[in-house]
Amino acid sequence: MSLGKPLNLREIVVMAFISAVFGVLYLLWIFLNQIVTGVLGPVGGGLMAGFWILAPVVCALIIQKPGAALAAQMIAAGTEVMVGSVNAGAVLLLGLTQGLGAELIFALFLYRNYRLPVLMLAGMSGTFANFLTQYVMYGYSQYETMIVWFMLGTMLVSGALLAGWAGQALSYALVRTGVLNNFALGRSYYQKKMEESA
Amino acid sequence: MIEQYQRKEAFLQHVNPSLKLISVLFIIAVMIPVFDPWTPLVLFAATVLMITSLGGVSLRFLLLLLLPFVLFAFSFVWIQVVFPDERGSTVLFSIGSMPVALENVLIGMSLGMRALVFASWSLLFVLTTEPTKLMLSLIQQCKLPPRFGYGMMAAYRFLPTFQQELKQIRKAHKIRGLGTNSKWRNAKRYAIPLIAGAVRKAERTAVAMESKGFDGSRNRQFYHTITWNKNDALFLLLFISLVASLITFRWALL
Repeated sequence: MSLGKPLNLREIVVMAFISAVFGVLYLLWIFLNQIVTGVLGPVGGGLMAGFWILAPVVCALIIQKPGAALAAQMIAAGTEVMVGSVNAGAVLLLGLTQGLGAELIFALFLYRNYRLPVLMLAGMSGTFANFLTQYVMYGYSQYETMIVWFMLGTMLVSGALLAGWAGQALSYALVRTGVLNNFALGRSYYQKKMEESA
Repeated sequence: MIEQYQRKEAFLQHVNPSLKLISVLFIIAVMIPVFDPWTPLVLFAATVLMITSLGGVSLRFLLLLLLPFVLFAFSFVWIQVVFPDERGSTVLFSIGSMPVALENVLIGMSLGMRALVFASWSLLFVLTTEPTKLMLSLIQQCKLPPRFGYGMMAAYRFLPTFQQELKQIRKAHKIRGLGTNSKWRNAKRYAIPLIAGAVRKAERTAVAMESKGFDGSRNRQFYHTITWNKNDALFLLLFISLVASLITFRWALL
């Protein structure tokens, strides 16, 4: 395994490009997010929170190196700011905490396990970090305890499904195109295929 | 539209991007313990004034950008009224059997205004900072590893290409009789080719960048150097006096 090697330029550029594509999608998402949040309140917004963790989960799965999830999330946030996000300050802070949240899970599994449950856990941890940040930043302590718990619940579900499950589906669909053959995920997929055909 | 403001020759455009970025994060930290509606209101007004006068941004354009945030801010008010941590005692009026208390409306307004303050300070940064300058400043002043900085800059340069490719993919699908289903399914069908194309381009770009020493292995010089100047000192002074007067105002209020 490539444990311990730092990220090289090729991996960083690939992460940046993937994050940029997500960054463009984020901008569409944040617009939709605001409408849903405005109507349903922060609870409805929680349902969509998992989408923010998609970039770190996908990049960590593809590259499988320490720091990939955090770097991917920071790059996604940075790209979003460059494109001209209306909420640059919050985006950067959330990028840092969400990235740390997802990274923590991969670190707990020593960067060796990238199965679906781990990815879902990483997504949930990412949305949990998002929740904590927003709790402090937007003063959620002023709301009824029940509604805050409910908000957390929707965010965790969203993290598991939108980030973990959808992230894995997306990554494996990408592997089949063959563009990832130079990366950890592509190599392991290729190896498995060779063994099966032999 | 945004680019046109970013290149304008106004005061805020000449302040170091890193300094402006730090000021945004600082404002967020300052606002966290505030739960009265007046402090964020005053700060919001001051920010709008700064963006229009020192950044040369038209008020109409600024308010247009903030419009979606007003809706977002409003959600804080109604959630606070319906689901408060503590229901206030000064009942203004009742909706059905639910009393609407003045205290809760005020707290809701405070949280809503806080979200607006965050958005407006972010706009102060975004509308007056060229993305390239931001990255160069982060590399030169904040010691961001050049691998990350130039990687992000490369991705940023490719954004228009991605948009064009999305159009191409959409048309290609249409010619073959696809793409009339639900939006969600379309998005899934577009995402894979778009990302696959992005990964291919990224690898080629990375090879080109490596060969020219952009990976930080060689000690490259900068064509554009970003330095500290007297505008930064002026901005810092302005920022400190703004925060100080805000704290005094709050202290006098309570």
